[in-house]
Amino acid sequence: MPSPVRAPNVSGLLAGYQPLPNVADEMIDPSGAVRPGWESLLRKLDQIGPEKLATRFAKASQYLHDAGVYYRVYDETGTQEREWPLAHIPLLIDEHDWQSITRGLAERADLLEDIVADIYGENRLIGQGLLPPDLIASNSEYLHAVAGVKPASGHFLHFCAFELGRAPNGRWWVLGDRTQAPSGAGFALENRVASTRALADVSASMNVHRLAGFFKEFRDSLQAQVKNPQGRAAILTPGPNNETYFEHAYIARYLGFMLLEGDDLTVSKGKVMVRTVSGLKPVDVLWRRMDAAYMDPLELKADSWIGTPGMVGALRQRSVSLVNALGSGILETRALLAFLPAISNAMHGRDLALPSIATWWCGQDKERRHVMDHLDQMMVGPAMSRQLPFEDMGATALGAGLDDGARSELLARLKDDGRSLVGQEAVKLSTTPVYVDGKLEPRPFVLRVFAARTKHGWSFLPGGFARVGLTLDTAAIAMQRGGQAADVWITSSGPVGKDTLLPREDDAFRRNVPGTLPSRAAENLMWMGRYIERAEGTARILRACHARHAEAANRELPLLAEMRTYLKPLGVDLDSAIPKGLSRSIDGAMLSASRIRDRFSPDGWLALRDLSKTIHRFHDVVAAGDDTTRAMTIVLRKLAGFSGLVHENMYRFTGWRFLEIGRRIERSIGMARILATLSRPDAADGALEMLLEIGDSVMTHRRQYSVYSGRLSVLDLLALDPLNPRSILFQLEALKTEFGLLPARDSSTEMPVLMKKVLRLHTDLAIMEASELTPDKLHGLAYEIGVLSDTISDTYFA
Amino acid sequence: MLYNIRLHLHYDYERSAAGGRHHIRVMPQTMPGIQRVIASSLSFDPSAAERSEFTDFFANTVTSIAYRNPHETLDVTMTARVNVTRPPTMLDVSPDMAGLQKEIRSVRSIAADAPHHFLNSTDYAAIDPQITAYAAESLAQARTVMEVVNSLNHRIYKDFTYDGEATDVRTSARQAFDLKAGVCQDFSHVMIAGLRGLGIPAGYVSGFLRTIPAPGEERLEGADAMHAWVRAWCGREAGWQEFDPTNNMVAGNDHITIGYGRDYADVSPIVGILKTSGSQEGKQSVDVIPLEP
Repeated sequence: MPSPVRAPNVSGLLAGYQPLPNVADEMIDPSGAVRPGWESLLRKLDQIGPEKLATRFAKASQYLHDAGVYYRVYDETGTQEREWPLAHIPLLIDEHDWQSITRGLAERADLLEDIVADIYGENRLIGQGLLPPDLIASNSEYLHAVAGVKPASGHFLHFCAFELGRAPNGRWWVLGDRTQAPSGAGFALENRVASTRALADVSASMNVHRLAGFFKEFRDSLQAQVKNPQGRAAILTPGPNNETYFEHAYIARYLGFMLLEGDDLTVSKGKVMVRTVSGLKPVDVLWRRMDAAYMDPLELKADSWIGTPGMVGALRQRSVSLVNALGSGILETRALLAFLPAISNAMHGRDLALPSIATWWCGQDKERRHVMDHLDQMMVGPAMSRQLPFEDMGATALGAGLDDGARSELLARLKDDGRSLVGQEAVKLSTTPVYVDGKLEPRPFVLRVFAARTKHGWSFLPGGFARVGLTLDTAAIAMQRGGQAADVWITSSGPVGKDTLLPREDDAFRRNVPGTLPSRAAENLMWMGRYIERAEGTARILRACHARHAEAANRELPLLAEMRTYLKPLGVDLDSAIPKGLSRSIDGAMLSASRIRDRFSPDGWLALRDLSKTIHRFHDVVAAGDDTTRAMTIVLRKLAGFSGLVHENMYRFTGWRFLEIGRRIERSIGMARILATLSRPDAADGALEMLLEIGDSVMTHRRQYSVYSGRLSVLDLLALDPLNPRSILFQLEALKTEFGLLPARDSSTEMPVLMKKVLRLHTDLAIMEASELTPDKLHGLAYEIGVLSDTISDTYFA
Repeated sequence: MLYNIRLHLHYDYERSAAGGRHHIRVMPQTMPGIQRVIASSLSFDPSAAERSEFTDFFANTVTSIAYRNPHETLDVTMTARVNVTRPPTMLDVSPDMAGLQKEIRSVRSIAADAPHHFLNSTDYAAIDPQITAYAAESLAQARTVMEVVNSLNHRIYKDFTYDGEATDVRTSARQAFDLKAGVCQDFSHVMIAGLRGLGIPAGYVSGFLRTIPAPGEERLEGADAMHAWVRAWCGREAGWQEFDPTNNMVAGNDHITIGYGRDYADVSPIVGILKTSGSQEGKQSVDVIPLEP
């Protein structure tokens, strides 16, 4: 039994804290005393007091909620965004312990680099019998297509992560290596921001190492790999459906890199280029967050829809550097852990300072026998697995936990098909305290540590990302199954430097030139603008209709019948309170926005999410008539809020212009269409009043013309008045201005097609009289503006 | 045996393809001890904006082409003069099945011809309990690995019906096995899956076959076809041996080789990524003309 906890100076939080027998605890040493760093943490938390502490922790969670930090979980119902579960008590690691961890890991990273270079190079390890050829040749992460291809940068590995656990004897183990596309560094940053919200004073007094310097160094080392004066470094994401897309967008924003998808890239003459609104631009370095197999449908996974055809060809030309190189994922293979000790001795002449958990590949007779003979102390799982034993959804069996039937089944499998299995020493992970209802309780955890190759060698994020179980069961550590994440504090005995990505005062001032805008982002921005405007137009029409609908006598008004017919093809059913057409527009805007989250401020995102939630909530509670009129007023107010945010806060980069163009196009098309319907000489009674209401121009009209709406005056105000921000002419003016500010696509002196088209439309309309604006003319105009939209696509998005 | 070979692939796109990138594997190569290429050429219509060549993992020559302009059709024409000089069938020096496993393990290499690449499931030729059970019937009488392979080669020829309509280019070994029918590609995939199920390394060979017209009939222009057969690793001594289950024979001087792979996917004549939304239709014609009687 562990000794009872002795903690004379700390009270409430610790009451009842009981480490498990034969398991190391981060906070309590084997004698039952609180470890030194933890003692000062506990004292400070105690000083804050239980109530204030709870408030502070709630603030940290609120921050993560507001920042929109999420990860995706996959279950039977599909994928869902889940809020980031922060475990509020940080994991403390003393600076001296940390140094020995990182020394060991730097050596390990070097070994992994040498191994992967050999696997795709000379194959001496296989020749010398240090690696079984079978394990490599039949490994799905062994990419035949890149065998013999040397990475352009000279290195396979640039960014790695390691999963660590602490043994009962207090030593650290490596449970797994992450070399494919390790995630979590961005979440570690967000954890730090959140925990600083709650415990800034505490961390300041404890000399906690800062994280920013690591990212700055890594960003600089990626930039240093850019050889082409025109070239750039960028982050490649599988897209918004990936479980860690939030992090990709976050890191891209934090480092100031472009966030690209496979479709943004094209290979031209052996060079990887990004399609931007200013044409093709070279990409020298890609920090890929995409698994290697998906990178090129031509030479890797043929059914990948998210890759770039020709990517492997570009690698063969050594014209692009991938971080990490394709094929590096093979180092994550669980069975490989079994061979590291011997390889370390053969290649580096020494044992690994930071060993892996003991692993036996059962494709070898002696090793298989050992696993079979010691099954009670083993975890047995797939040899080719690249996940940790407790997160592979039950594919790994705990020998001691098997009943007789399962046990003999496993023994038979080991005998018949040993090569597909590995045995690993069943590990008891150490525990760290979590905060539960005002008390601390021990929970098992795994520590993820991040390393980046810089010009000074491997650099480590001084902190990391601890995955902590929700229960004492180690299986509950996996985030997919409801684990929590804790910040990691590396504490120093003296003050630590203040690194930040923001320039220091003595740094030379330099305004960053705005990067070129990828075509896909431009396209999404334009469509977001169109959807938002479409939603607004629909909401205005609905409000006007339902206001009339509210009076029972009006229900069969000819005007409403006319509107019913008008709205039907737009997917808007006037008889349902919140028609699908409206929520579809909002969802469309959300979808477009979700694809460009790196370009979106958290405020903008929250406003949009709020809008979408409101609409979907209204679906269930709002009735047709008066109720809808009020609901539409709320929706319109929220839309105005979002537009204000965009208009007031968004920097006038090219991206903003595409958003603006989308809005203007949609607004002019909408106006032309509704005018064509309601300004007909034979339109139903009240049509002109309704037009003015929809066009938000009742007051103006009254002021400028007369009390009575005449057909021509309404047409004049809503189509031809250059000062009315809702008129068609106003939209064309705005489009003209914006088109003039878009990047030129060719060097010819001739006026671009897009400009010609809008000038022609604008001039035609500007010299027109209201009386000439027949419904046919208006429909024709709507069509021509639609063509403008296609011309933009052809010019900038193709 | 000296041949003139002419291959023509033609594709029609329903909607014009805005651009595209293709890898083409149709050129026979010089392979010491098997065949020598005297001359060859490969051309494309429309001509490609980019064209380059590389050698893939399995040592096949790949021509990579890219288009940037819209096009509605694509024509690939390959001509080659090849001299095939395979050695006469040699004595069976292959080990027994237990010996084979030891010999596989003793190969400390993952070079292109190492047996280790050819032991596991691939998309077209996945190890499957039913196919393995079928293949295992060949173990009964056989003493050596070569005898096992020969027996399976013969049985597939006997048990399967050649039927160009039964399958298509995407058919897997298991689907063809259930149909007991297909074309050379299917026969080969079934045999590869069966051999792998027994632990015999097996791969796919793409190439051409000289067809001998029925007595009294003329050779029909363009009526030959691309062909596929199987190679199996029969131990260190015997190495890779090639078998043709479609024709119940060992590959000989009528077999002209284009390249090797684990299955069709590694060595398909053309793979491509097109920027088009419509479907496409392909036609091929092949002439294998012997220059000696």
